[in-house]
Amino acid sequence: MTDIAVDAPQTAIAAKPKLVRMREFGVGRRPTVAISLATGAAILGGWQAASSAHLAPHLFLPPPAEVYAAAVSVFNDGYANATLWEHVSASLARIFLAFAIAVGLGVPIGLLMGLSRWAKGVFDAPIEFYWPLPPLAYLPLMIIWLGIGEASKITLLALAMFAPIALSAQAGVRSVRQERVNAALSLGATRWQLMREVILPSALPEILTGARISLGVGWGTLVAAELIAATRGIGYLIMSASQFLATDVVFVGIGIIAACAFAFSIAMRTLERVLVPWKGQS
Amino acid sequence: MLRVDNASVWYAARDGSPVHALDRVSLDIADGGFVVALGTSGCGKSTLLNAMAGFLPLSSGAITLNGHAVEGPGAERGVVFQKDALLPWKSVVENVALGLKFRGVGRTERRERALELLRLVGLADFADSTPYELSGGMRQRVGIARALAPDPAILLMDEPFGALDSMTREQMQELLVDVWARTGKQIFFITHSIEEALFLGTQLIVMSPRPGRIVARYDPPFVREFAQSHDARAIKTAAAFAELREEVRAVVHRFEPQRSPA
Repeated sequence: MTDIAVDAPQTAIAAKPKLVRMREFGVGRRPTVAISLATGAAILGGWQAASSAHLAPHLFLPPPAEVYAAAVSVFNDGYANATLWEHVSASLARIFLAFAIAVGLGVPIGLLMGLSRWAKGVFDAPIEFYWPLPPLAYLPLMIIWLGIGEASKITLLALAMFAPIALSAQAGVRSVRQERVNAALSLGATRWQLMREVILPSALPEILTGARISLGVGWGTLVAAELIAATRGIGYLIMSASQFLATDVVFVGIGIIAACAFAFSIAMRTLERVLVPWKGQS
Repeated sequence: MLRVDNASVWYAARDGSPVHALDRVSLDIADGGFVVALGTSGCGKSTLLNAMAGFLPLSSGAITLNGHAVEGPGAERGVVFQKDALLPWKSVVENVALGLKFRGVGRTERRERALELLRLVGLADFADSTPYELSGGMRQRVGIARALAPDPAILLMDEPFGALDSMTREQMQELLVDVWARTGKQIFFITHSIEEALFLGTQLIVMSPRPGRIVARYDPPFVREFAQSHDARAIKTAAAFAELREEVRAVVHRFEPQRSPA
């Protein structure tokens, strides 16, 4: 009989074994946070250096300290007849309302476009036609049709946010695996059960990605929307500061939008992790 | 009983030309019968299964289950797919209970019955895992339990063990025979492994490609022997098994698509 010899496992492992992993292509899983922080610091340092060396006129590029002072002042005393919170909440309310409308219409229409030839035929042309237009281009129409109140601002935002959600919901339906549909049907699913138990969850990762993109588009369109006779809002704050050549306040406004958009992006990613933990696993 | 009567399928290839996938196939699967379809790829065995499942309409002929025409997918015909089609957003037990949920069975009852089926396939301990935590063989066992949940008259299995390693595959074959013996379901099983086909079926049909048709039928005794003795090694190494295997192999090779001479 063949000898079967098993060595006793090496009990005394060297204090620190050298940990190895497969060589990876591209960035892989190595962390990039430190590099990003260094980049941020370098930009800030460059900014400080450029303004102390008077490379650009003060009006064009106020030094960081001055922007910080302006931020403190806006934070404490407000700007343009409203507190900072009133500006931020006005913008947030517009974004949220427009997002709710875009999701409420975009998800069902996108799902329908993925499921029905008629729905795809009907909605494809108008969406493909208007979606690449810059919102500023149809801004005048919004004003002419809907006036200068909230309706035109919300509609502009909702229009800009609708397309990415509808298109991603449609792509989500197309990505549903035929096998899963067949499995559900052979287990006796009705059309509605198939929709709820298979198609909607399958499309959810794509829908959430679309929602994240649409929020980005929303923040990008905000300044345009608040060009329309606004008295509150971060976009309005920026526009009004620029009319007084208050460059430092413009920087503050930009910083606030960036911070809000970043926070939204993180929130959406967290939501994705909670709602679709299986993404990338199957 | 499931009856396939003169079933033919023509489908359109990408360029629109008709492809003859299934040619006048007739087949009866008796209650408690275990029919295995064996053939090389392109012999129409999956086409036949898809038609039985109701995923694919026939060009001509008919398929009936207990006298009722098959006109689409339905819970009375359970399907186990080649690659498991489990839903990754549901736990193992929820996946198994899916067919019961579709039927309106209450939450506690369907969990109980799903757990029972998971015990049958030996996975009760993994009820609350997610599918992507399981190995390939375990997933296929979940797939079998799920297909059994709505208590179908027949199980249709499309090369369910094709992607498994050979050791897991043998375990799964034995498990399937146990399930078959205990539940008494009709089974239609597709494979391209001659050994698997011989070991599993009470009836074995050999199919040939282009167009797919049945070219030979056998009634191997081995699955009933195994249900009695539970000694797979003894059965697979016996002379009778090897003899039939070589006979079937010769038939399969005769109908292999011929390479055109260079």
